[in-house]
This record gives sequence, structure tokens and C-alpha cells, in this order.
Amino acid sequence: MSTVPDAGVAAVGALEAQSRSTTSESPLALALRRLRKNKTALVGAAIAAILVVVAIFADVLAPQSPIASDQRHTFETPSRAYPLGTDQLGRDMLSRIVHGSRISLAVGVASVLLALFVGVPFGLIAGFYGGRIDTVIMRVMDLILAFPIYLLAIILMVIFTPTAGLIGTIKVVGAIAIVRIPIYARLVRGSVLSIKEKEYIEACRALGVRDPSILFHHVLPNSLAPIIVTTTLGIATSIIVEATLSFLGLGTQPPTPSWGWDLKANVAFIHQNPWLSLFPGLAIFVTVLGFNLFGDGLRDALDPRMK
Amino acid sequence: MRTYVLRRLIEIVPTILMITFVVFVMMRSIPGDPVVALLGDAYTEEDAVKVRTEYGLDKPILVQYVIWLGKLVQGDWGTSILSGRPVLKDVMVRFPVTLELIVLSMAVALAIAIPAAIIGALRQNTWADYSATSIAMIGVSIPEFFAGVLLLLIFSVAMHGTLPSSGWIYLPGTCPMLVCIGSVWGNAMHVLMPAIALGIGRAALLTRLLRASMLEVIRTEYVTTARAKGLAERPVVLKHALKNALIPTVTVMGLQVGFLIGGAIVVETLFAMPGLGTFGIDAIIARDYQQVQGFALITAFAFVMINLIVDLTYSVLDPRIRYA
Repeated sequence: MSTVPDAGVAAVGALEAQSRSTTSESPLALALRRLRKNKTALVGAAIAAILVVVAIFADVLAPQSPIASDQRHTFETPSRAYPLGTDQLGRDMLSRIVHGSRISLAVGVASVLLALFVGVPFGLIAGFYGGRIDTVIMRVMDLILAFPIYLLAIILMVIFTPTAGLIGTIKVVGAIAIVRIPIYARLVRGSVLSIKEKEYIEACRALGVRDPSILFHHVLPNSLAPIIVTTTLGIATSIIVEATLSFLGLGTQPPTPSWGWDLKANVAFIHQNPWLSLFPGLAIFVTVLGFNLFGDGLRDALDPRMK
Repeated sequence: MRTYVLRRLIEIVPTILMITFVVFVMMRSIPGDPVVALLGDAYTEEDAVKVRTEYGLDKPILVQYVIWLGKLVQGDWGTSILSGRPVLKDVMVRFPVTLELIVLSMAVALAIAIPAAIIGALRQNTWADYSATSIAMIGVSIPEFFAGVLLLLIFSVAMHGTLPSSGWIYLPGTCPMLVCIGSVWGNAMHVLMPAIALGIGRAALLTRLLRASMLEVIRTEYVTTARAKGLAERPVVLKHALKNALIPTVTVMGLQVGFLIGGAIVVETLFAMPGLGTFGIDAIIARDYQQVQGFALITAFAFVMINLIVDLTYSVLDPRIRYA
């Protein structure tokens, strides 16, 4: 997993911050060892890894087309031909769930990364320079935070007008990212405020290091640990928000397979075909659980004081 | 204390103005306009112009907002395009439903979180603690609508309609309409599943948080002192430890209210409840400007009021916190 070197950087940063720390083992090895000992975190990582594989190889893994309807086989109960049954259009549920992982993961990861790339610089600038820049940036962030998260995402999706396919997915990513930007801005600003008072930053200034260099080479690496943890847990939250938007009919539109949309469509038949609404919901739940477990483990590994 | 509350109440005004203005502008930046919702797809440009003039949609946004505000202070929340009724009337009908849902889901959350967190913290690293934290982890990962679907599968499908899967019966006395049947039993049957669906995720979150702060508090010196002076375990835990550990939990509960308002949209949609959540989402999707403004106004108001109540709760939990 790509998170391992990141964890290392963060751990190095944490150690840099506590310059008096006296461990003989490298911080990367320490964090890794803690993570490896944490069984639930490993389970979470495994779930997340399996999902990534499923999403990438969906075309190979899905037994049938997720969108081809077959009027002769509607509402089939789970069988050998249709392991999870078929929906009201005769589409294979297993194939829809396999393909649905793409939207969930893509939106979950992309929206968090977008929020990260916008939110982190804002937080760095606000915290480092303070004054009027800080006030303006943080007031805007507070304004976004003042809205209930679902409500803002819903209004944004209505403004963007939900559509199908890649464009539709990009719209959902944008809506969720906007809602999540303030979280990173606040987080980074908070750690910058404490880091910029440290002696080594003062030393950099005395040596004549320029501001952007101080920000990206000294301040940012030292606030990486909370960013990594928030990002991992944030993927779980974003997946829930995506599923919720789809459930309300405001996510990526059909025929693109989406777990939230399937759940919504199948709830209408809950009395006749209960299993249909169970499977997409379970898929969402397992995915979110995986990222939550992994994120929790990462937090314990990177910052043992939190445990 | 009184001046503090008064100052906070005055501070509410700009917050509400800001939120309603942002919603106002956002709604009007949505492509298309409510003329379609009002006249259907087949209309002449003449009709459209007439409607736009009638609703003041031809004026600049800022002017429209000022007009809306002006009417608002006179108690006129505008007329809903969807229902044709005054927005205020609809809000009054739907408010009790959502209020009951949110209050009960919070009660569900606390009823689960407090005992689970106490057990987890007092028996740290035992099987009881592990099961409490594992269940909490599972609870955090269940979206409201899936929790709702699971409840539906158990109580409405497997148990053949033990609990109704949709609709609403008002509590006697809360029904704002003239003709309306209220029933305690019917109300309980209808609110149970939605309240659990909305509360379970919050219960899990609060359990994790409260367990962590309980662990911190029971290691403090004043808890050791309380034990050393021979106090029974029960008052030590409930009076000394829990009360102090609750402060961060109350903060998070206040922050969660925004989340609950959003969650209410989802749960009310799933259980087809006539609350503010369905009122809001219907209005947003249909671009019913007046109804959206009414929804934004009542939501923003509820949000800031609850935050005020949260801040006031601090001084009850910790008398050292005083507001002047």
C-alpha cells in the first residue's frame, strides 16, 4: 500500500518535532511495527485492498454486464447463475455490486484528495501569515462549516445537475470536496500555529530560508500525521456521503451502477424481494468499515498518545 | 448569565441572515427556474413572464432578498409553489415531526453511549470493552439509510409488519392541523425505527468519544481522592468521573445536530415521513424558492439555538464555567 512511505514521512516529522526523542529504532520502523501488531487495522487494510482490486478488475470479475437488462429474468432469487439474484430489470446484482465499487472508491478517494489539495494550502497560508489573510480564509471556511454537510452537498448537486458517467462522477466529487475543504484548512492551520513557534522554524528564518520553502519543507512535513489519519477516515465519510447523495437520487445517474442508487431502487421492493436491498447496503457498510478500521489503526500507529 | 444569553441571542441574527442569504443566492444559481415547476413543460413565454413578475423573479437577486426579508419580519414566509399554501403553515405542520425524530434519536444515542462507554472505560482491555468498542466501530460505519433498511427488513419484512414502514401519526397535542388523529401508541410505532436508524451512528460515535474521555478522567487525582476517601464506586463513576467526561461529548453532540438535520432528510425520505427533511429536499429539487428559504430559515434557527443550549449546558456540568 502506498500509505507506508507516507506513514514514514509523518513519523519522521513527528520525531523532528520532538527533537529530544531518544529511540534507537527508526521512526518509520516503529510506526510500521505498531501498525503490523494492530490486527483490526490489518483487517481494515485488507478490506480496502480487496476493494481496490475489485474496482480495478471489475470488468474481469463481474460475471455479467451490470447494465444489460433481461426481461425474462427479473427478480431472480440468488442462485448459481445469479449469486445475488437480479433486480427489477433483470440485471445481475453481483455484477452491479462489483461495478458499483468503482463509483464508491473513485468518489471517496478523489473527493478527499481534491479537498486535501485545496484545503491544505489555505490552512498553511492562514496559519503561517495570520492577520487579515487568516481572517478572510477562515471566515469563508466557517461559512461552509455552518451548513449541515448533507444539506450543502445536496444543494451543490442540484446546482451542478446530476448526470451519468464520468462527468456525473466528477460533479459528485466536486460537491463532496467543497464540503470537506474546511476540515483540512482548519486542521492544518491548527498545527501550523503551534509549529511556527518552534525553534527550528526560527532557525530557518535566521538562516534566510524563504517562506514557501519553510512552509513546504519544514512546516508541512511536521503536520502530516493528522492529515494522513483524517484523509483515511475522510474516505470512509466521503463514501457515505456519495451513497447518501445517490440514495436521494442526486449522485451519479443511471445507467452507471452505484450502490446508493441500487439501494434506493430496491427498497421499493423490500417486501417482495428483501435480499435486493440488503446487498448494496452491505457493500457500502463493509467498504466504510474497512477504511474506518484502517484509519483508526493508522492513528494509533502514528500517534500512540491518542490511544 | 442573562446578559450572556441576551448577547448570544442577538448574535444569532447575523448568522441566520448569512445562511439564508447564501441559500438564496445558491438556489438562484441553479440552472432553470421555478416557472417550469409551476406551469409544467408546456407554457408560452408570455405566461412565464407573467409568473416571474408575479413572484418578483424579474428583479435583481439582492432586491428579491430584501423583499423576502421585509415580508419575513411581518410574519409572511411566502407561498410555496409546490403546495400552494403559506410556507410558514407548512413549516409549523412539519416541524414537530422532525423535532421529535431528532430529540428521540439523540436520546437513543445517549441511552446506548453512556452505559457502553462506562463499561468500556471501567473494564478497559477486557472482553466487555472490546465488544463495546467493536460494536461502536460497526455502528460508526453504518449509514443511516442502511440502518433504516436493516430495521425495515427485521421489523416490517421478517416480523410481518410489526412496525409500520412508512407514514406518521402525531403525538396528541403536537398536531398543528385542525383535523388530525393523535395517538401515543401510533406515534411510538411510527417514530421507533426512524429514531433508531438516525441515532445508532451517533450512539457509536459518542461511545468512542465518551469512553476515551472517561479513561482520561478516571486517571485524574480527584477520582483517586474520591476513591481514597471511601466513596462507593457508583458515585465516583457517575458524579465525579462521568459528569466531567461528558463535557467534550456535549460539544460533539451540539456539532452533530447539523449532521442530524441532514440525516433527517435521508431517514424521512426512507420512511416517507412528513417532516422538514422531506419538505426541504422536495423544495430543493423542485426549485421552490420560497419553500427552500423557509426550510433554510428554520434549519439555521434550530442549529444556532441548539449550539446556544450546548454552551449553556457546560456551566451545568462544570460550575467553574461561568458566563458573564
